[in-house]
Amino acid sequence: MDLAVLPEIVFWGLYAGCIYILLAVGLNLIFGVMRVVNFAHGELMVLAIYITFFLHNILDLNPYLAFALSIISMFFVGVGIERVCFRPIMGTGKLNEIFMSLALIYLIQNSIFITCNNVDFCNDLNRIRSPLGYEEISFGFMELGADHVVIICVTISLVVMLYLFMKKTSTGKAMMATSQNREVAMLTGINVERMDMLAFGLGSSFAAAASLFWISEIPFTPYSGSINAIKAFAVIILGGLGSISGAIAGGLIYGVAENISAYLFGGGWKHATSFIILIIVLIIRPTGLFGEKEE
Amino acid sequence: MVDKKIILVSMLLLISFLGCTEQPTETTTTIKAAGEIKIGLVAPLTGGASTTGNDMQEAAELAVEEINAAGGITVGKEKMRVVLIKGDTETNPEQGVKAVTKLITEDEVDILIGGFSSAITYADQKIASENEMPFIITGASSPIVTKRDDIDTSYFFHHCPTTDDYGRDTLIFVDEVVRPAINARFNYSDDRKLRLGMLYQDGKYGEGVLEGAKKAIESEGLMIEIVAEEKFTRSETDYRTALTAIKSAGVDVVYPAAFLNEQTPIVVQGRKDIGLNTIYLSVECNDDPDYYAGVGQLGEYSIQESRFGPYVIPAGSLKAKVERFRSAFKTKWGSQPSMMGASTYEGVYIAAQAIDDADSLVNEDIRDSLNDLKMDEMIEAMQGGTIEFSEDARESKFQLYMQQLIWDDAVGETRPVIVWPDNLKEADFILPEWYESSGD
Repeated sequence: MDLAVLPEIVFWGLYAGCIYILLAVGLNLIFGVMRVVNFAHGELMVLAIYITFFLHNILDLNPYLAFALSIISMFFVGVGIERVCFRPIMGTGKLNEIFMSLALIYLIQNSIFITCNNVDFCNDLNRIRSPLGYEEISFGFMELGADHVVIICVTISLVVMLYLFMKKTSTGKAMMATSQNREVAMLTGINVERMDMLAFGLGSSFAAAASLFWISEIPFTPYSGSINAIKAFAVIILGGLGSISGAIAGGLIYGVAENISAYLFGGGWKHATSFIILIIVLIIRPTGLFGEKEE
Repeated sequence: MVDKKIILVSMLLLISFLGCTEQPTETTTTIKAAGEIKIGLVAPLTGGASTTGNDMQEAAELAVEEINAAGGITVGKEKMRVVLIKGDTETNPEQGVKAVTKLITEDEVDILIGGFSSAITYADQKIASENEMPFIITGASSPIVTKRDDIDTSYFFHHCPTTDDYGRDTLIFVDEVVRPAINARFNYSDDRKLRLGMLYQDGKYGEGVLEGAKKAIESEGLMIEIVAEEKFTRSETDYRTALTAIKSAGVDVVYPAAFLNEQTPIVVQGRKDIGLNTIYLSVECNDDPDYYAGVGQLGEYSIQESRFGPYVIPAGSLKAKVERFRSAFKTKWGSQPSMMGASTYEGVYIAAQAIDDADSLVNEDIRDSLNDLKMDEMIEAMQGGTIEFSEDARESKFQLYMQQLIWDDAVGETRPVIVWPDNLKEADFILPEWYESSGD
């Protein structure tokens, strides 16, 4: 075992953590405001990948521009899903919400599958070739692919923008208030249904942002979202339900722990490690790292 | 109101599941008609491997059409036409069991062909065994499918190279061709063992390739040592840690046992992110246009083991037959057949020949006929030029070849050229300038 390569492995762990952060932040926004557990979050990410893929192939757009448009369009897709699928069943019981999100998984997967079967440029496996494919940026101690630098910068920028939005704008504060106490927020005149819509839209956009990882030639299928969504759930439970800081910490911890365990014990332990950590944290601190005790 | 919502949710789920399990109309139960021979095709027509499954289906339909056009099969004194009945495994073992059960018990097929994926075939062949149903397996590469001892495998015939075959031929090539080239470039002694890194998928397929490689090194006395064994879970997208570990072990060649969606990022991440500038080997299932498009220039000089590819037709007696098959397939379906399509096409002909030889539709007679089968190779080169099943494991033996990917400016992708064995070779193996060895 060569410990000299550990810094490199930690770096790739932090990089992998970025996808968990983006997914978990989106999931947390939706759960925090609406108290809806959206099992179809991974499929929203996949839908965004295919939107980028279609825009790139049909309109011949630069993949990064197509990606930016996909983030914007996923906001409206999210708003639509909230209005059509979740709002009518809000408050009718958790089981309905769970089944609705499970139904969305299959609806999104099969819609993409059927659409792809009827489009010439769509194959069983698809990929997006980044225009920065072979570019590298040197940081002295290591050289990084330009795509990786973009992904890390986008992750940091989006999280900072979300933080500023939540802390500095009245809409963001209203969302936080709704997240903290929905009834009191209503009494103070906050339109909580509007906050639900906004949270689902933003959450979907964050899921779309996670799709950036597929821009560097990683093949994808309509079924590529599942494992990442499961990990994102584990991340928000680890970090604390509803906590954005928790999602960031959880994402980074998972990314690094998975990669180190894969190096030390073999790739078979990679995914198991996330859940072992989750179990340990839940035993020691059931509310997660940054979660608050419910009254 | 609540009831209404439950119905709505149920409907949504139902619609989605129907979409998920969309069945071709031919899979509905069929009544066995007189004068018909039913061949059951077991294939992933939906789900993650549906492109492969559809290709298998199209190739099988073409074969059935050709056989019927030639007058069908004579059983007794009756000319019988062949009917293809499709069973969709939906790319998962549970559905595979259901599909095979239905083909045998409801559709009453006379023989099964197909069976893509070792894991799915491993699950569904239990049903075939219980019903003593002859099964020509054309798409599962684990040798265990005809060697397992928990069920009676005497009705199973393996017409697809096994992971043992891949490992042996690939590593013999590495030992005969790649190792001397590295030794010459870096002035290593002739008895230096080549350092091999294995990166394998968790499961029967990946572990089979690893075991096949180990067996080949031992049984063939190859000057190769495995210095790194890294495992990954199926459909993983991030291989950087595993590749970093392999690089730190100091390897001369990397042998991934991976599917197409895994092999592409392995090569791209290995070359681009980790700087593992070595020779990447690739198992035959990746000899697919998607692979050449996916790896781009980073795949140049990598090695692709194959038996039927999209871009190369080996010279020799089969060339005309392969071209005729490709042309017929393109005319009927408008696309090129894949490797799985080729072996499924042959599978239908093998089934037809076995029934013809048996002159019977009794399962035991068909099995005995398959045991005694000797037919000329068709569109894939076979060892000895004939399709026949070995006595011990009922495996047919293919003539595999190694291709090196060379950049083609005209198409903006790499294209393969055969570099081994000598009787099929089109060009010499090239050790690229950027290649880095692990050291002496």
